[in-house]
Amino acid sequence: MTQAALNPVLFEVIRNRLVAISEEMRIALQSVSGSPTVTEASDFFTGVFLPDGSCASMGFQVAFQAPVCGAFIRHITHKTKMPLRDGDMFIGNDPYIGALHQNDVQMVGPIFVDGEIVAWAGVEAHEVDVGGMDFASWSPKAREVFQEGMRIPCVKLIDQGELREDVLEMITTASRLPGLLELDIRAFIATINVARDRVQELVRRYGAATIRQAIERMIALTETKLRARLSELPDGEYHGCDFLEHDGHTNVLYKIDVRATKKGDSLTLDFSGSSKQAPGFINCTRSGLAGAVTGGILPTLAYDMQWNEGAVAPVTVIAPDGLICTATFPAPVGSATVETIWVTNNAIMLALNKMLAASPKYRHRAQGVNDGAMATFNLGGINQFGEPFGLHLMDPIAAGGAAWPGRDGVSAGGPIISPMSSIADVERNEQVVPLFYFHRRLARDTGGAGKYRGGLSTEVALTLGGIDKAMALVMTHGAEAPNSAGLGGGWPGATIRQTMGWKAVADGRPANGGEVEVFGPKPGLMTMTKNDLFAVSWQGGGGWGDPLERDIGAVEADVRNGAVSKEAARDVYGVAMTGEAADRAASEALRKEMRRKRVGSFADDAEKFCNTKPFYPLSESLSLARDNRGVHVVSPAGYILATGHTRWREGAISVTVAQPPQAHRILLHENLNATTHYCPASGVLLAVDMHEKGVAPVNDQVLDLQWVERAAETGA
Amino acid sequence: MSFFIGTDVGGTFTDLWITADSGETRVFKSPTTRDVLGGVIDALRLAADSYGLSFNDLCSRIDRFGHGTTVGLNALLTGNVARTAILTTRGFADTLEIGRLRRQTSGLNETEVTDVYQRNRHPPLVPRAFVIEIDERIDVNGRIICPLDETQARMAIRALKQQGVEAIAVCTLFATVNPVHETRLREIAAEELPGCFISMSHEISPNIGEYARMSTTAANASLGPLAGRYLAKLEATLREAGMKVPIMMMTCAGGVLPTSVLNDRPAYALFSGPAAGVMGSQAMGGQIALKNILTTDIGGTSFDVGVIVEGRPIMRSDISVAGADIRVHSIDVDSIGAGGGSIASVRTGGELQVGPRSAGANPGPACYRRGGKEPTATDADLVLGVLDPSNFIGGRMTLDVQAAKDAIEDYVAKPLNMSVIEAAWGIRKILDSRMADLLRRMTIERGYNPRDFTLFANGGAGPSHAWVLAAELGLDGFVVPAAATAQSAFGTANSDLVFSTERPSYARIQAGRQPNEDELGRIRSGLRMALEDVRANLKAAAAGTNVKIEKFLSIRFRGQSNHLDIAITAETFDLAAFQAVTASFQQQYETLFGKGASYAGAGFEILSVRVTGIAVLPPPSASNVGQPLQRKGSRPVVFDNPAEAVDTVIFHTVFPEAATDVRGPCIIEFPGQSVVVPPGARAMADARGNLHVRFSA
Repeated sequence: MTQAALNPVLFEVIRNRLVAISEEMRIALQSVSGSPTVTEASDFFTGVFLPDGSCASMGFQVAFQAPVCGAFIRHITHKTKMPLRDGDMFIGNDPYIGALHQNDVQMVGPIFVDGEIVAWAGVEAHEVDVGGMDFASWSPKAREVFQEGMRIPCVKLIDQGELREDVLEMITTASRLPGLLELDIRAFIATINVARDRVQELVRRYGAATIRQAIERMIALTETKLRARLSELPDGEYHGCDFLEHDGHTNVLYKIDVRATKKGDSLTLDFSGSSKQAPGFINCTRSGLAGAVTGGILPTLAYDMQWNEGAVAPVTVIAPDGLICTATFPAPVGSATVETIWVTNNAIMLALNKMLAASPKYRHRAQGVNDGAMATFNLGGINQFGEPFGLHLMDPIAAGGAAWPGRDGVSAGGPIISPMSSIADVERNEQVVPLFYFHRRLARDTGGAGKYRGGLSTEVALTLGGIDKAMALVMTHGAEAPNSAGLGGGWPGATIRQTMGWKAVADGRPANGGEVEVFGPKPGLMTMTKNDLFAVSWQGGGGWGDPLERDIGAVEADVRNGAVSKEAARDVYGVAMTGEAADRAASEALRKEMRRKRVGSFADDAEKFCNTKPFYPLSESLSLARDNRGVHVVSPAGYILATGHTRWREGAISVTVAQPPQAHRILLHENLNATTHYCPASGVLLAVDMHEKGVAPVNDQVLDLQWVERAAETGA
Repeated sequence: MSFFIGTDVGGTFTDLWITADSGETRVFKSPTTRDVLGGVIDALRLAADSYGLSFNDLCSRIDRFGHGTTVGLNALLTGNVARTAILTTRGFADTLEIGRLRRQTSGLNETEVTDVYQRNRHPPLVPRAFVIEIDERIDVNGRIICPLDETQARMAIRALKQQGVEAIAVCTLFATVNPVHETRLREIAAEELPGCFISMSHEISPNIGEYARMSTTAANASLGPLAGRYLAKLEATLREAGMKVPIMMMTCAGGVLPTSVLNDRPAYALFSGPAAGVMGSQAMGGQIALKNILTTDIGGTSFDVGVIVEGRPIMRSDISVAGADIRVHSIDVDSIGAGGGSIASVRTGGELQVGPRSAGANPGPACYRRGGKEPTATDADLVLGVLDPSNFIGGRMTLDVQAAKDAIEDYVAKPLNMSVIEAAWGIRKILDSRMADLLRRMTIERGYNPRDFTLFANGGAGPSHAWVLAAELGLDGFVVPAAATAQSAFGTANSDLVFSTERPSYARIQAGRQPNEDELGRIRSGLRMALEDVRANLKAAAAGTNVKIEKFLSIRFRGQSNHLDIAITAETFDLAAFQAVTASFQQQYETLFGKGASYAGAGFEILSVRVTGIAVLPPPSASNVGQPLQRKGSRPVVFDNPAEAVDTVIFHTVFPEAATDVRGPCIIEFPGQSVVVPPGARAMADARGNLHVRFSA
């Protein structure tokens, strides 16, 4: 049958049904699971796949996970060539096959109709513990994947409908929390059964060929739409990079570097400039890179499309083996999701948002990085009920969202790769796990500074509740690397700050006399007692535009609401507060002086100005204008930064520092520098770059000017 | 002559359902007025006129006055509420803004949820500047970790005076375990701000989970001054006119309560409109011996579904309003953006979508000619012959067929290279299949077989789409209730007194262990406190002694975040009762999630207890003498095959007589709705005016 045979009406009916089925799978798994990573952070996946492993439809959950089950299905059908029978289900978790890391246990089952496989159903969820040398299967000291959790390449757990209890026992025995794992595996089985029943019903009604065709068309439709969107965006090369520090052994700085080349309706992502793989657990395998790419494309470019395989069809990935994002066997990858995958995803989104910023049609939704890091606070031991326990605190996802041109970022916005994340109530946490909170609130001055401010991060302070001591695992990246980048002159959000007040609690209340230790990124495993106070604030979202352009009234409101301190209002935003009110005249004078200080004296060489009206936007304060000398990149003052190309940094005044002013609450790794670029004529902040010490910042928006001129002519 | 009256204030119309002791029922509609009161009074005047009575004569003969309203809901959605402050534990003032991250994505439909740019649609219910932190802290066991600093509290509350605060919500951590700080804070607030409306979280939403509890208490407080005012005024007006009974307000939980009991708890009535609709179906089902009902309502923008099993609606423990999680025991009414106003559009790649975008009533469908350009489901129905252009809403509005055709031609048919009829048929098909998907979600996905249910079709567009929905689910037909266009008003006059409350009662039962006497005792004590609360409130509602008590336990497998509410049948909660509950839990769990999903090896967690008291109110008599259907010619109507329109008989009626028995294809047009009877089906009316459509004639 040809594509045309399926009419649009029947297609839409079947499409809605398939989406409903994958949502039903999501709800079933989330209701049944006992893992907070599943029930709160939505770190799981449910979907329906074509026999070749292409994802047709997924629930609203962590987008990193979209390629995982497909790779697993392809492994089963191509590598193992196991006989497939109706009622079979397979379980696996090998990051060198398809999983992001070993905690991601996946299960898939073929769906047969009349002896033929019409589709596959797949589920995956982050399990708290799958064995290995340390609790939660995250081992900062691991040097090989063998030391981390168990690896199951592929095992048939359900044989023609019969659960193999022996295999199940073998798997759960490997975990420190066997009950929790078994509950989830049973949930997987239930979820795949649901999908199988529903899809079979659909096939019986409309026929296998029609359903197959509808699924293929769903994927094709997303591809068509994404290609159409890419065609609207300017041809050119966009650069994004991000950093993570500390590999579990030493505090080394690693870089993820992505060059996104957009031409016509295709996109190439080149990661060749990234760091080599690390000796510790922060790496990811090629599966992780695939997850990061999917997670970068979906929310940024495919936000209004059905999420499936079609979204990555226009994308080519270039990445040699042995990079931190293409680690080779047997590199450890235990914390891949919150380390390299997360940061790779940041870099991709940053590059893509620079492309959106250079599009008149899409610039309103260009933004910096949301929720740039996911810090870890794991606790294990014996809980207040006398049971062995392990908790993986989900509160760190409540970091800040990035600002847009025209809107502040969302405070506690949460990750955007996971549309329906949530965190548990403090009361619920204290009821079921041995924690006692002193506060859970929004953290002042954490939002990236900008004309539009990044959203604030949440911060918590807690001790143990109902028990005397436990083992804590504290680790993160982003304590010395501001991952939540800003855009268009906006600053990144604050870096993560984690401290332990040793013996700082008495009788359940903060007491004097304790000793506060400021942690680095990965202090690792430690014993914590009910007299210790752990406090942490995460990253705020990236800002948009020069903070000195922020409306004075908005800064005044920020100070009143506690979002911005008076010091930051003055030092970062150039707003002088008198009590609760902003002094407008004093602020204007202060801002003028600050702009002048940035550049020394304002350039006024008439030759360096273009007096025509800009015809195309690049970012907040950069545009293209044309006069008889050619096409220029100009600032709002009309100052010419570059001519004939968009590598504008050469014309700006650039200032590099080892540490930004304190009011930003950004701490930089010793090998990381920040460079600010200003318009020589006005002192307006054009961009803030983070880069390795001694390495010049990269020109990150290199547009094809012929494309731009064509677009400007046709009014597109 | 005496009357039972039910009223429901909707966004556009105020409905009134009335029955005299003859059993004859009538329905009146009057535009909703800004002050709400006016619409109710206007509808009452219409009713009085129709019986030839004066307003006062009618009022003095009222035996029951039921009332439902979405006023509170709309006030919350528009932020048109009292200026409210929150008092909470130091360190937790951002609870509403953080909103468990749920606030940020709340209100996004299935096509918006993947788009971060759409987030943060609803600001926190109370702005940060009005959330006051108080020095105090109680732990999970009710132990005071940090005593209440009364001086600090008093100064902070005093400072609110200048801010014009009209209401205060007190919500401190673990107040549900130990309310001593909340109670003291209320006393201080009452001293410092006399006349201020004060709600305490441990009374309004007595369960663990500070975000939903704070939202609920804040919503309650911010509605308190408003809801109280309008209900008091309505009650005073009706009393002055001679009414001797109290206003019985519909609650979310699907029962009525006198306003005196609800004045402190306006949040309990937030969803009284949708709840009343389901209660109307339940009441009507009871009268015609139907126990399992899928109650559907298709309006202009949304399709709402409630499920009644064994005569009782399925409930839920929280609802989302204006971005906030509101924890009130409510009838579970799920809805999607699919209705008469749903817009059809063709997107990139030739994808035909219908809804969730809606043209609403303004500009409305293209055929209204009020400026709406895009085609809607109503336009499709018109083109397909389902709607009569000259008899829409009882002839009060003329529809423009050509405008509907043009819109469908331009926006759907041309881009997809289809005929206008094919395109219209496709629009209806897609809309109906989306609605059928919701019905599946409410039944099959919960382990119910839809074939065990009867579909009730309410709302303006319900009866014209029900034939497809019923067929999609494999049912043999559907019922159009006599009060289908005023089902909520009908429900308010036909419900019992219901009061329901919960208490936290945590117990953790590891695998292989039974609860000990101490744990059982705590559950018993929770049940006892909840029961006392129920009895006291029903007594205040002047209920008789004949109160039916239902008890539930919230239970889950250890470690899960979702729970089920399981009925406790035993008189005393002992070990045997616990075992009965866990057995029933595992059985229901497997019904929901499939055989083999249950795993007692995980152990159990008990979270809370709930007690519901039901005091039966005598139902009104309702037995109409209808009229024979009036035949009004015929017109071609498209049913299953877009290529073939079927000549279809048209009937008009206001209230079909009991002898009514007609065969499809026909359309029975009421003022405000058109019942489509497809070819081969048969429609019969019962003595109460309900129309039963059966496919297996």
